[in-house]
Amino acid sequence: MSEEVSAKKMDDSVWVFVALLTIIAGFMFISPSLTSGSGDDWISMPLIGLPIIAGLLMISFGTVVPPWRKEKILNATRYTCLAISLMSFAICTGMFVGLFIGIGWEQITFNHYVVEAKYSWIDSIGVCWHVGLDGLSFPMVWLTSLLIPITIITTWNEERGWYYHPLLLVMGGALIGVFVSLDLFMFYVFWELTLVPMFFLILNWGGADRRYAAQKFFIYTFTASIIMLLGILILYFAQTPDYSTTSFTGRSFDMYEMTRESHIASIGGAPWLGLGLQKFLFVLFAIGFLVKLPVVPFHTWLPDAHVQAPTGGSMLLAGVMLKMGAYGLFRICVGMFPDALIDFQTILMLIGMISIFYGAWACLGQTNLKRMVAYSSVSHMGLILLGIASMQPLGFAGALFMMFAHGIISPLLFAVAGSLKHHYHTLEIGAMRGLAKWSPWMGAYMMFGWMASLGLPLLAGFVAEVAIMVAFWQQYGWWVIIPALTLIITAAYYLWSMQRIIFEGGDEGQLPESLGDDKPVDIDKTENIGMLIMAILTVVFGILPFMMFDMMSSYSSQVFDTVLKIVMARRGL
Amino acid sequence: MSLTPIEAISTSAYQAMLPELTLLSGIILMIVATNLGDARMRIPLTNIRVPVFFGGKRFEMTADPRIPGYICVMTLALSAVLALMSQPNNLLHVYYTGQEGYLLTTNNGTPLLQIDAFSRLFELMFYIVLLIAAVSSLDTMNAVDSRKVSNENTKQLIDNRRQIDFHLLILLSAFGMSMVAMSVHLFMLFIGLELASLAIYVLVAFHKESKAGSEAGVKYFIVGATASAVGFYGMSLLYLWNGDLGILSLQNAWRGMDEVEALPLIALGLLLVGFGFKISAVPFHFVAPDAYAGSSSPVAGILATASKAMGFIALMRVLFLVTLPETNSTAVWLMLMGALAAISMTWGNLAALTSTNPKRMLAYSSVAHAGYMLAALTAVGGWRWGHFALGTAVDAVLMLTAAVIFHLFVLITFKLGAFLVLGLIEMEGKSNDMKSLNGLAKRDPMVAFSMFIFMLALAGVPPLAGFMSKFLMASGIVQVTTSESGMELSKGLIPVIQNLHWTFWLALLIFLNSALSLFYYLRIGVLMFFEEPETKLPLPKATRLRGMIWVCTVGAIVFGISGDWLFEFAKTAAEAFFNY
Repeated sequence: MSEEVSAKKMDDSVWVFVALLTIIAGFMFISPSLTSGSGDDWISMPLIGLPIIAGLLMISFGTVVPPWRKEKILNATRYTCLAISLMSFAICTGMFVGLFIGIGWEQITFNHYVVEAKYSWIDSIGVCWHVGLDGLSFPMVWLTSLLIPITIITTWNEERGWYYHPLLLVMGGALIGVFVSLDLFMFYVFWELTLVPMFFLILNWGGADRRYAAQKFFIYTFTASIIMLLGILILYFAQTPDYSTTSFTGRSFDMYEMTRESHIASIGGAPWLGLGLQKFLFVLFAIGFLVKLPVVPFHTWLPDAHVQAPTGGSMLLAGVMLKMGAYGLFRICVGMFPDALIDFQTILMLIGMISIFYGAWACLGQTNLKRMVAYSSVSHMGLILLGIASMQPLGFAGALFMMFAHGIISPLLFAVAGSLKHHYHTLEIGAMRGLAKWSPWMGAYMMFGWMASLGLPLLAGFVAEVAIMVAFWQQYGWWVIIPALTLIITAAYYLWSMQRIIFEGGDEGQLPESLGDDKPVDIDKTENIGMLIMAILTVVFGILPFMMFDMMSSYSSQVFDTVLKIVMARRGL
Repeated sequence: MSLTPIEAISTSAYQAMLPELTLLSGIILMIVATNLGDARMRIPLTNIRVPVFFGGKRFEMTADPRIPGYICVMTLALSAVLALMSQPNNLLHVYYTGQEGYLLTTNNGTPLLQIDAFSRLFELMFYIVLLIAAVSSLDTMNAVDSRKVSNENTKQLIDNRRQIDFHLLILLSAFGMSMVAMSVHLFMLFIGLELASLAIYVLVAFHKESKAGSEAGVKYFIVGATASAVGFYGMSLLYLWNGDLGILSLQNAWRGMDEVEALPLIALGLLLVGFGFKISAVPFHFVAPDAYAGSSSPVAGILATASKAMGFIALMRVLFLVTLPETNSTAVWLMLMGALAAISMTWGNLAALTSTNPKRMLAYSSVAHAGYMLAALTAVGGWRWGHFALGTAVDAVLMLTAAVIFHLFVLITFKLGAFLVLGLIEMEGKSNDMKSLNGLAKRDPMVAFSMFIFMLALAGVPPLAGFMSKFLMASGIVQVTTSESGMELSKGLIPVIQNLHWTFWLALLIFLNSALSLFYYLRIGVLMFFEEPETKLPLPKATRLRGMIWVCTVGAIVFGISGDWLFEFAKTAAEAFFNY
């Protein structure tokens, strides 16, 4: 059988899969337990279920159609993906402005959630499908729903689009699942689920060394999350069982309940969640989150993954996936184990300090553009850790805003780096000079992104950095010199690279050798649209940060007033 | 629970045993229908030849090699449906309530077979395993329609004898297995066990495509027969001691002992050898990797799921019903089973780490899974019968038993599914090397996806079925071991740890072993996604086999994310089991 002949045959058995998946999806839609929730559920199906199921169906369909027909379904797939992701974005934006139910984002108290929905899922072990939003998770959800369409548009012409764009869609659904889940089991499932699309994005569209990078990425994050799973199980079994519930084990995975218990523990009740257990669990969870963040001893997977990942993968990895670690730190390490946080404050601060400094220092030595941006991400993630370690409401809010701002800026940086790779076939800093001459748009976006990343006032990054620095100063006094001086290194490596790539080279400039005889071109229309949106948002949130910052600071002060203050008062600090 | 005693030879017994009778008629149909021919008998002293239709040159239709497979599949499907419906006018009634059952007795009232939620659930499971294996072997054992073969000589060679043998053996083993599921009498249990085992010995040797096939069959037969003989010897000692092999009678005798006597203890030990072989626990596992590697993949799947479940039924009957003490003490076999569990899971995983043959790897992983389930059984023994200060309706032991049943059930999806994927590769003539999995994702992404799901489920990654079952077992163990003192963490971690019963650490061992097993399960993933394939050709078409792989894949996911109803069934079954 020749390859040509065999390749034209459809794999019939996949229809069994498609049929079963459709039945399950249909069942999920009509199932009474899913429709009888409290209020309107704007999260479960539209934001999580639909993208994942639709993405999987499109992937399985794209895999089995014969090659000559793949080009025909390409456009349909891309537009469907874009439509679904835009629908999610519309829903999220509607929530943002309180369109549907008049949400007052600033009035949410600690451990209370809006757009909440809870269904029983696996009763026997106390797992429920519990989703909800608050000032911590909503910015991330909105960011994700924003980045998915932008990524789809920016990488509109990626090869094998019938497979690529649905993967992005699945990725988006899984990421939103991480941020909205209020049940530890669900949280863990989505946490692992985000690995899968990213793994395939790196493996199938990556650079020359993609196998190594994909393996390293998987091993690091998977091992860390296994340690986190151990923490989840210990937390689960340590609960005092209550056999009057439907759960056979008398325990539940509900994060809301656990946070409430820990709240009680902080004023002296709920003895099962004492300081010893909290410290132990804090370490287990923090390992899972810090590897994802990543911080310096565990950061080595990130540069490799970024360099090898395709543009879209990098954008989502830097934009949202890294924030999963910071989100987990806030939601679980701060929200559930405040007692232990006080003990680990100094360690977190030191790790953050090292990350900021090491990341920035390593940037100076990089010759690969993506690698440099990756290390700058490590540096910025260190700032988030500093914000948490400052244990000030302003520091928390600054860290939250850093998560958001970095989530808009770093995708822009990676989009630019990706288009440089795409159009000039190189990522070497200094391989070409005078980019601005050949590709003015690309040069402009590159410069804008770097300026935003180094913290230029009136751009989004600046707000976060200032907030974190002030909070750090309030807590640690003049030690703030060290992170503040590191920002100079940040400025140094960005400006230096800017000089070497965008400017210099005289009137003619210097084209990279990798371009060969091709003509240098500027970015595509689709790339331009995506980058323009990100750039505009950077400015908008730099000038009007309160749109997001208000709900973040209200969340932060809630955490500080209702949790940390009580714990500190009890411990006489 | 109300058991209706009925005599074995009566109309109501026929009604109660509809699935088994269906199997029997399937077996008879298989023998008769495929042998219909133009045989004639000459009436003596005359020249008149009367057609008898049985034997002689077979008709074109009955010689069709596809017929045995269809008969087998139809019979098993019908039996499965009947077992699911269970009683003519009560659809699913038994599974939901567990309140009804039949007790088949001899004419003088000795209970032999019990039909209740427990036996029905296991029967259903056996039928599903064998059905999946039979459907997939329609593809793996090529049955060419002889009418479509143009060459006369080839036509002569194509015969349906082999198909008949194979599918007949499958039906026979189904019959034996359902007897094991129902038996409440050790002798009946033994008969069923042997009926199923003998059929499976032959099935193992049936893989004539590889030279290892007959060797595996002979090895498996010799060791298996020895183990059975040892078990049978133990049984005869029990008979010597008690004079009756009914489970209830043995239970009464055991509880009547002031302290454990030597004779029944030795008998118990010998029985454990026989059953330990069936579940392939260390140290009775040595032949299992050879047998799995030598047999064809669907048969290896049967070995790893149905055959193992059979061993666990027998083990549960003896350990829980006969030898669990009534008074305030732990079971005599506690230490022994705990050690077996710990060694089985650790040894199995370590051996699987180093194996280079995917089937042997799956065999060792099956040993490890036996260890997990043994750990759950051990925890039940650690429970002090009648002194369980829970004060609520939730019964940890029921939960543990149900977890074991649940695990045995969901093993069908991922263990059998993994073997089916290997079966698909085997159709190319090579599956005894990890290299055959190289680059599977490039050759056939959908099959590679299923295999990856199976591997993750075997390792117990949430939210797949494997996680759910392991989690239920581990949480059952934690619940049993901590319920007496409670996890009073207010006193600090150390005193709590000191007060724990040692079986608690088996739960931790399950977790650590699962983490260890991730290495070799994920290695399969690495091979499939990272290595370059030796050939770019797609895998064989084999639509039915692929369909079964999809069924297993979807099962592995669905039982993980919504396995509650199955667990309810398992819990009802466990209640029925203990209420005997």
